[in-house]
Amino acid sequence: MTVDQVGIANLPNQRFKIVSKEGATFTLMVAGESGLGKSTFVNTLFQSTLKTPVDNKARYKRGIHATVEIEVTRAELEERNFKIRLNIIDTPGFGDNVNNKDSWQPIVDFIDDQHDSMMKQEQQPARGDKKDLRVHACLYFIRPTGHSLKPLDIEVMKKLGTRCNLIPIIAKADTLAQKEMNEFKSRIRQVIEAQDIRIYTPPIELDDQASSDHAKSLIESMPFSVIGSGEDEIEVAPGQFVKGRQYPWGIAEVENEDHCDFKKLRSLLLRTNMLDLILSTQELHYESYRTLKLESAETGSKRSRRLHNPKFKEEEEALKKYFTEQVKAEELRFKQWEQNIVTERHRLNKDLEEVQATIKDLEEQVKRIQLGKK
Amino acid sequence: MATEHSAHASKESLGITSAPLSEKPAPAREVKVIRRKLNGYVGFANLPKQWHRKSIRRGFNLNVMVVGESGLGKSTLMNTLFNRNLYSASSAAIPATEKPSAVEIESLSADIEENGVRLHLTIIDTPGFGDAINNTDSWTSIVSDINNRFDTYLEAESKVTRNTIADTRVHALIYFIEPTGHSLKPLDITFMKQVHGKVNLVPVIAKSDTMTEEEIVEFKQRINDDIITHNINIFKPAQFENDDDDTILSTQDLIAKIPFAVVGSTTAVTTADDRQVRGRSYPWGVIEVDNEEHCDFVRLRDLLVRNFLEELRERTGNVLYENYRTEKLKKMGIDQDNSVFREFDPNLKQEEEKVLHEAKLAKMEAEMKTVFQQKVSEKEKKLQMSESELFARHKEMKDKLLKQVKVLEEKKSQLEKSKTTTGDGSLQPAQKTRKGFLR
Repeated sequence: MTVDQVGIANLPNQRFKIVSKEGATFTLMVAGESGLGKSTFVNTLFQSTLKTPVDNKARYKRGIHATVEIEVTRAELEERNFKIRLNIIDTPGFGDNVNNKDSWQPIVDFIDDQHDSMMKQEQQPARGDKKDLRVHACLYFIRPTGHSLKPLDIEVMKKLGTRCNLIPIIAKADTLAQKEMNEFKSRIRQVIEAQDIRIYTPPIELDDQASSDHAKSLIESMPFSVIGSGEDEIEVAPGQFVKGRQYPWGIAEVENEDHCDFKKLRSLLLRTNMLDLILSTQELHYESYRTLKLESAETGSKRSRRLHNPKFKEEEEALKKYFTEQVKAEELRFKQWEQNIVTERHRLNKDLEEVQATIKDLEEQVKRIQLGKK
Repeated sequence: MATEHSAHASKESLGITSAPLSEKPAPAREVKVIRRKLNGYVGFANLPKQWHRKSIRRGFNLNVMVVGESGLGKSTLMNTLFNRNLYSASSAAIPATEKPSAVEIESLSADIEENGVRLHLTIIDTPGFGDAINNTDSWTSIVSDINNRFDTYLEAESKVTRNTIADTRVHALIYFIEPTGHSLKPLDITFMKQVHGKVNLVPVIAKSDTMTEEEIVEFKQRINDDIITHNINIFKPAQFENDDDDTILSTQDLIAKIPFAVVGSTTAVTTADDRQVRGRSYPWGVIEVDNEEHCDFVRLRDLLVRNFLEELRERTGNVLYENYRTEKLKKMGIDQDNSVFREFDPNLKQEEEKVLHEAKLAKMEAEMKTVFQQKVSEKEKKLQMSESELFARHKEMKDKLLKQVKVLEEKKSQLEKSKTTTGDGSLQPAQKTRKGFLR
């Protein structure tokens, strides 16, 4: 730096230093039906066992009333002296029921709740220690059916896309042949466009050729296809290991760009677009939630909290049923009572008729006596 | 981080106000955090680099306020610092013939670019400070300007739609100390105490070329003693253990030189060894502005721009503004609710929902019960009424008929008496009416 320079050129380095010292907070949500390798993906992405997949016995035990529960895994990871506080939001059991209507509601609510919590924290006079679980990126795992998006997928993705950075992913990409994959991808892209689903798109910086080329290549590959991999690496050549899945016909490699888009997705999530994900969450998604919320508060409408636990619903039903039965019992009693009144009326009428008969009898007797007298 | 996580449980028990669920003591749940140091390269360590790029795209801004009696070379120093003519020549202090009524606030801005990095600079000048005979109130307009800038920010932050908030807050206040060689004047101390909680205070010894090296060392010592005695907070860059040795040393060196003794000059002069430098030429030699041996100008520039501009901004936003805001809101009567600062806990959430559900259920039951009981009693009343009506009508009719019977019987017995014949029309006794509920 020359003497006559003020030192402005050094300012980005100051920012770099401050961020390096502070570290970062990153919250990643994985959504989708179970069995699509969500946990495995997270572990592969961060090269550490953060999530232990639920063992199959436990899956079975949960039974038919599987609730969508939100599960938060917190981790503090460090690489090259840089620390991130990582939060993985898992949504086990999503879409596993026979009737999945509203099964996505807890996920959507979770995202809203985090925005809401941030708003409440921000409004406090002292707000030094904010807890932030706002979702910076939501990976939506699509089952590799080869057909198209399911109605449930569309419904959920629509809701998610307006609330956070939605990144659709084709899970278990090794089950689709290359041609099938390309067709599947283009069909999904069509549906996304036709249904007006908002998905995260990396910004293209036109003044930076390398960066915009990279962004374009990411956009072209969407939705990203990924292959899950187990804990152990496979030895492809003596001393050379890869992450992947070994088949009799070959090895599907996670980090091979010809095999799947894992590397592109990793680049988007961490290496090139992590900051954009964080900032757009704050500046776009959080701000729109906040604006909406404040506007609706001004007009006086208030969102009542929805409860999704099926057990709650059952209890409500039971209560209603109990009262219905009570009503029925009472109705029966009243019917009986009315019946009794009718019977009694009959009896009393008869009683009166008897008296009337006596009167008639007497009248006749009197008449007879009077006649006899004459 | 570890302390942050474990501390939240105890914080929850403070100042719980309205949340109905917090009435019972929150169960202390340990938040589990997995800690790992990665061996391979995953890539999140690239985030500072992403910030670096982003910051260039977004640009920087700095708002500096300069305060000091006139004639201490404020505008020259600012021009020297940013190496351009920020103050036009005409605005150079006109010797005050008439007494200025009050301190004015003037701000001037400039956009400076260096190697593709942009800085939007605003200098907030305060001409007239300390020029009056009685300077008791000379700081009030300065303090209220600093407050107004906080208020503007607070207002922008509270808006329904807030895109990018323009930051007009004062990031640093350079206070010019007259090179008297004595110590701080009462006005210096009073003023600094008025603002040290609101701004990053950077005191400088103006026109230090009027003092010898020894005098400067002594003067600095006395000023620092005064600062300590009067508990004045001045800005000092933070030091970090993790910094490399060079950074630690240079930061320590910089702090040791506070308050900086500075000389400003934008004119190029020729030194004895025939170099062109920014400085001031005296018969006994040339004082070079950019020479660290001659004055602390370079240190001041390091602190203000080169090394600590972002730290000044961060401290303004995270500490000074936050303190101002906290106090302001509390004065406005807004209560602190610490229950909102808690770690998300799915179990806790379920419990909350359970409580909500039970309340809802109880309400439902009560409502249904009320309606049910009301309906039942209405129906019961109706039936009882028709029952008693039935009996009443029957009784009335029967009484009427029995009266007829009596009349007839009397008539008959009269007739029989007169005829002395005996009739056999005996009367059945009237049946006793039943009363009560028929169920």
